[in-house]
Parts: sequence; C-alpha cells; structure tokens
Amino acid sequence: AAEPWPENAALYQQLKEEQILLSDNASSLAVQAFLQMCNLPIQVVCRANAEYMSPSGKVPFIHVGNQVVSELGPIVQFVKAKGHSLSDGLDEVQKAEMKAYMELVNNMLLTAELYLQWCDDITVEEITHPRYGSPYPWPLNRILSYQKQWEVRRKMKAIGWAGKTLEQVLEDVDQCCQALSQRLGTQPYFFNKQPTELDALVFGHLFTILTTQLTTDELSEQVKKYSNLTAFCRRIEQQYFEGHDKDSSATVAARSAKRSLLR
Amino acid sequence: PQSLLQAYAKFSGAPLTVNTLSSSWRAPKGDVPVLISEDIVISQPAKILNFLRKQKYNADYELSAKQGADTLAYIALLEEKLLPALLHTFWVEAENYCSVTKPWFSSKITFPLSLYLPGKMSREALNRILLTRGGPPLYSLTEVEAQIYRDAKECLNLLSKRLGTSQFFFGDTPTTLDAFVFGFLAPIYKVCFPRVQLQEHLKQLPNLCRFCDDILTCYFRLTVSGHSPAGQDTADANLQKLTQLVNKESNLIEKMDDNLRKSPQHPPRKLTTLKLAAGGEESSPLNRLSP
Repeated sequence: AAEPWPENAALYQQLKEEQILLSDNASSLAVQAFLQMCNLPIQVVCRANAEYMSPSGKVPFIHVGNQVVSELGPIVQFVKAKGHSLSDGLDEVQKAEMKAYMELVNNMLLTAELYLQWCDDITVEEITHPRYGSPYPWPLNRILSYQKQWEVRRKMKAIGWAGKTLEQVLEDVDQCCQALSQRLGTQPYFFNKQPTELDALVFGHLFTILTTQLTTDELSEQVKKYSNLTAFCRRIEQQYFEGHDKDSSATVAARSAKRSLLR
Repeated sequence: PQSLLQAYAKFSGAPLTVNTLSSSWRAPKGDVPVLISEDIVISQPAKILNFLRKQKYNADYELSAKQGADTLAYIALLEEKLLPALLHTFWVEAENYCSVTKPWFSSKITFPLSLYLPGKMSREALNRILLTRGGPPLYSLTEVEAQIYRDAKECLNLLSKRLGTSQFFFGDTPTTLDAFVFGFLAPIYKVCFPRVQLQEHLKQLPNLCRFCDDILTCYFRLTVSGHSPAGQDTADANLQKLTQLVNKESNLIEKMDDNLRKSPQHPPRKLTTLKLAAGGEESSPLNRLSP
C-alpha cells in the first residue's frame, strides 16, 4: 500500500537570488519538475548551507516525513517506493533507453555546466566566486570557493575534461542537444504521451541553460539551435509551473535576474 | 579503445594493421592507441573514429538520426556505469592486478617503464573511481566497490534487454555502438581472472555472450571453443588490447557529420588483409587508408 505523501514535504537548495549556481539550479529544477509531474506537492526552501545539509553533499535534497533523500536518481526510487512512478508504462527496452539518455544528459550537460562554472576563468571570476561564497563573510567566502573549485577541477582532470577547451565543450553540448532533439522529434515528450523522469531531467538542464545569464550567450545559443527543444521547455513550463502559487521556483526564477522563455 | 577501434575498422572494412607498441612512450605524445596514415598522426580514439569516417569507412551509414542519438546515449551509459567496474577489475582489485594485469603489462613494455607504468595506471584508475563515485554517503572503498559492481551488473542487464534477440544492436549490420559494446565486453568475457564476479554475471546473459562470440568469430577469426592455433598469442593480443582500453579515459562520443551520409559509402566487407601483431614485433607502418 502506498504511504501518503505528507503535506510539509520540503526541497532544499541554495539561495535562489544570490548563491545558487547553474548546475545546482538545473538539478534542483529537474527534481521539482519530476515531483510536479507526479502531482506531489513540495515546498522549496532555500538555505545557504544546503550543500552541507545534504546526505550526499549534493543539492537538491528532499525532506519527506522523517527521511532525507538527495539527487534525482535516489529521489525517483524513493518516490517509486511510495507508489508513484512515471515510467511504469514503459517496456524493458524503453526503460533501458531512458536510463541511457539520462546518463547522456548527466555525462554531457551536467559536466559541461560544471566545466563552464569552475574551469572557465572568466566565468569563475565574474560569476561563480562571488555567488558561491556570498552568504559568508570574508575570508570564508573565498576559502570555500577555492576549495570547491579545486575539488571540481580534480574531478575534471580524472575524467579527462581538464584538457578540453571551451570550444570543445560547446561542441559536446551541441552534440548532446542534437541527440536529444533527434530523439524527441515531433513528439510532445520523449516517450510520446506521458512525461517521464527523463523529461524532467532534460527540462531542468535546458531551461536553466536557456534562462541563466552568463558572461557569454554561447551555451544557450547551442540549445536555441534546436527549436523542438525550446518548444519542449516552454510546454513543460506552461503545464507544470504556471498557475501554481507564486513561490514556485521556476516562475520566480524567471522573474528575477534570469530571463523568461515567454517573452 | 584498441579493441574498439579494431572492431570498428573491421565493421567498416578499413584495412588496418595493428602495431603493438611495446612502449607507450614511443607513440607520439605518449598516447595509445595511435593511427598513422601517410604522414598524419592521430591519437585519440574519437578523432581516429572521425578520421576513418572521413576516409569513407563509415559503419553508421545505415542508421537513422534517432539511432545515431541512441548510440550516443548508450555510449554514455557504458562509460558511466560499466567503465568504473572494468577499471576496478583490471587495475584496483588486488588479486587480479597482481596475478594477471601487472605481469602481463610489464612483460609487454620495456624496462624501466615496466616498473613505473603499471603502478601509475593503477593509481589513476583508483583515483578516477574514487573521484567520480566515491562521495558521501559511501565512505569506504568496499562500499564504493559494491556500488560500482551493482551499477555494472545493472548496465549489463540493460544492454541485454536492449539487444534482445537481434544479432547486432541496430539490426543485421554492426555499427559504432556494437564496436563500443564489444570493446567493453570482450575483455570481461575473455580474460581469466581470479576474481570474476563481473564475468560470471555476463555469462548469465546468453545473448551478450553470443554477441561477443559472433563478432570474434566473424571478424577476428578466433575459434569460439578454447584457443585458436595461435592460442597464447591471441590471448596476449587480447590482453594488450584491454590494457590499452582501460588506459584510455577520453570521451569517445563521435560526431555525426551529415556530409558523410551523402558521400558514397563502401559497404562493410570482410577483411582479408588484417594481421594481428602480437608480442611487440615490429611490423610495417599502417597501410594507407584509401577509399
């Protein structure tokens, strides 16, 4: 029997206006979209130390009842255990495909976002460092930023992305978007009529890329080349985020320092 | 990557001679595998694949755009879920490393590199596993190991479901994805390790075993049962291939170039001119790749 979903379920992320970064915002939006698609109400709570509160060190994480679960993968499984699932209607081959595409997005888009945030010097100086440490006083803000940067760069080096130039990273993003665009085709969602966690993940990343102002527009240009992807994002935004209460992250984010798709 | 590239070359019919390098430092820029054609030297697997395609050896000609997209996605899945476990089996698992990988690798490369290089590759493999998979809530190496093997087994299951009963992943002719999957699976399948949990799991998936065997018999001319006449040599060659495989961690996503689809394409044909050079013998430089 499915356990009821409590009213006070909360999703924690970093501070929206000042602190949160591109990659974390994308992940958070993906989870929010997923929960909206499952019709599970969730409240978004912003905390400066969200990263440290999370059991795995990554945002976002949800606090439901007396359990804390972080990251999209485990959250999907947790929600499934509660009896809600978006991918039950898929057969085995489709489920395999869905997992493969989710890995593609994580592998390419998320890594590209991390690269841009932490390995591209201009972006690091102008955007990442000021934002990441903003809730803390000097010198803590600088120390935390540098520490995180060192960590991310180590990881990039281990997977071989440290040697890439920005152009190569943008090319990879382009390939990924091309693959997603080709897979989506003219369908409303990736697996035709019903949205799945893949749709939520893709929406989270693409919407964030499209609506975040960085030092250059190159990243969002890569996505804009594929009109079915922008239409996809607009459709999900309209269906799942408009018309909800004003606290919903997507519409507030759209109104503040970031631009909205519906202009 | 080396077995992957050989498989790809075979699928697309490119004449390719395999030069086993006894010292990775002899390769230009220290990178293996290396493709040398006339005066052009290309060292990364992705670029080698591109080069082969531009020379009109294209195994993906028949694929639709969607299948091309699927290829990219499945390759990402392989890299994310299967590669850590593969690295672990070869380079980090103590028994395997000491009894199989290290002696093999040391015997193939010259002194004094043989003292330094296996250790370095082992450290790099462990580093990569820990950095990409080892964050909290997994705090000890054994927990990380358990998780990556779980992921690898799930990945193998997914591949098996996707393959189903067809001969190759996209119908009757092999493509880039088949080359990739073969490149990842063949070492697990063929090499005898003391600790073999991944191999046992693979053997429970008969369609994947059949897939590997098919490619080996058709394209590499090895007999399925036991060893071929050059038994030990081919086992050597396989092991050499797989050590290069786990050495390479570069991103192996290929570009889908529309121009290539319009160019005349040679259908994949059986190779008659391939020879596998085992054991560090010096053979002539790679044949010229001409359409």
